[in-house]
Amino acid sequence: MGMNLGIDFSSLLQWNDFTVDLVAFAVKFAILVGGLLQLPPLLVWIERRVPALMQRRRGPNRVGIFKWRLYGLLQSLADTVKLIFKEEVVPDGAHKVFYHLAPVFCVFPAFLVACAIPYGPDLTIYGYKIPLSVVRMDVGFLFIFAISSLAVYGVSLAGWASNNKYSLMGSLRASAQMISYEIPLGMSLIPIVLIYGTLDLGKIVEAQTSFFQWGVFAAPLSLLIFVICMFAETNRAPFDLAEAEGELVAGFHTEYNSAKFAAFFLGEYVSMFVLSCLASTVFFGGWQVPFVSYDALVAMLGSPNFVAPVGILMLLLKASFFMWVYIWVRWTLPRFRYDQLMSLGWKFMLPIGLANVVGTAIVLAVLRFK
Amino acid sequence: MEAFYFVPEMLFYAISGLILLSSIMVVAARNPVTSAIFLVVDLFFVAALYAQLDAHFTAAIQVLVYAGAIVVLFVFVIMILNLKPDALRGIRFSLGEALVLLITLAGFVIVGSELAHTAPDLTMPGNLGSAAIEMAGGNTYVVAMRMFTAFLWPFEIASVLILLAIVACVMIAKKDKRVTKS
Repeated sequence: MGMNLGIDFSSLLQWNDFTVDLVAFAVKFAILVGGLLQLPPLLVWIERRVPALMQRRRGPNRVGIFKWRLYGLLQSLADTVKLIFKEEVVPDGAHKVFYHLAPVFCVFPAFLVACAIPYGPDLTIYGYKIPLSVVRMDVGFLFIFAISSLAVYGVSLAGWASNNKYSLMGSLRASAQMISYEIPLGMSLIPIVLIYGTLDLGKIVEAQTSFFQWGVFAAPLSLLIFVICMFAETNRAPFDLAEAEGELVAGFHTEYNSAKFAAFFLGEYVSMFVLSCLASTVFFGGWQVPFVSYDALVAMLGSPNFVAPVGILMLLLKASFFMWVYIWVRWTLPRFRYDQLMSLGWKFMLPIGLANVVGTAIVLAVLRFK
Repeated sequence: MEAFYFVPEMLFYAISGLILLSSIMVVAARNPVTSAIFLVVDLFFVAALYAQLDAHFTAAIQVLVYAGAIVVLFVFVIMILNLKPDALRGIRFSLGEALVLLITLAGFVIVGSELAHTAPDLTMPGNLGSAAIEMAGGNTYVVAMRMFTAFLWPFEIASVLILLAIVACVMIAKKDKRVTKS
């Protein structure tokens, strides 16, 4: 048909393990990114309606299509359009390159980390096994910590490049906080690694077959530390000192507006979602359905491929619980003072985290010795 | 494998090119913040190279420790130092440095050609190949077993050394109360 480019396309698209992996990766990544981009508008809407409920007021309920108001759901769409089409103002003294790069540094790690979460059991298509995480690694745990530790650069660069004292103060606070709480966050998950004996998130989920084998029963103290650090890592209330509006205007993103400001939002909400998914994966059985084992589900639905959507829904349900906790806590607890935050991190969370690791190791050693 | 055999090779050359480029920018940039950020990019792509060798554990630790922790402190210190804005633009370059670069490159070529004669056959998988590591129980297991059996003493001594350094830093940074009061 005139498509003679000297390449035999039929040989190029031979299905083997490598090409299946490549195509599956592209498709999964596209679906994940597309899905994650829908998160912030929805979450912003929830974050306005929930406090409205809590404070007995109405919240946004006007913007809709014609006579259907949809509880104001389209308010977020209007906000997004406004944010994108707003005039962009770059401060005079800003470092131009880093000013524009900082939001990228914020968004990129958040999306990359989302690739490592196992969203469901393996699919089997024409005999090829396709894991339902974008990349399945034997060190998924370490990958998540490694990449999420890069998010600090976005925050610190944004503050520094804006050439504004408030921004710099905000970014210094935020990065000090993120570094400090990364350590107890990592410590809180070491007992889980010890108990399940693997760094592969997929295997950790597969090990939590029955309800009482969930991580929350094996390591309840870890869950407590993890949830507290989760708030600090994403700079959310009660640890949102980086944007303490009373002292710092808006912290590290004071000088940002329009689409770049929205990018910071996107990064924050995506990392909230990822940490919620991680918490549900590690402590609440991931995609496992409580009280029904995977084999029973396969028998019930007929094929492992039908279990996959159930698993995805289950994980999203569990993750949305943590998202709800995020919003609930934000509108319940007042902000910490900075020195309180630091001493909580270093003098309370870190020792408890270390004790938790040592205690779990001793118990496991004794159990194995018997 | 035949159809897309060029993808890993292309990735290797792309990553190596980016490593070289960012390494040059680390020393060439006038602005220390630019240097630090290129150092992060550099370390990140070195980790990507490790990952391509199937050394996932090393890759993750590389990003976690170097890119995610150590360079953050560099960036911190640089940002707190108040730098003069005039001297910070453009790329640093001088004739003397170019000469040093030339000599280094010549040395690099000599060493490289010497190594090329004596290098072992890289096409054969050795006992550190990815298949061998997989057989032995995976990356993390192999690293942990070596570290906590054969290399336990060097590992422990290194950790004590680091602890000493931390204590020393705290002692130096600590405010002398008697001096500040008077």
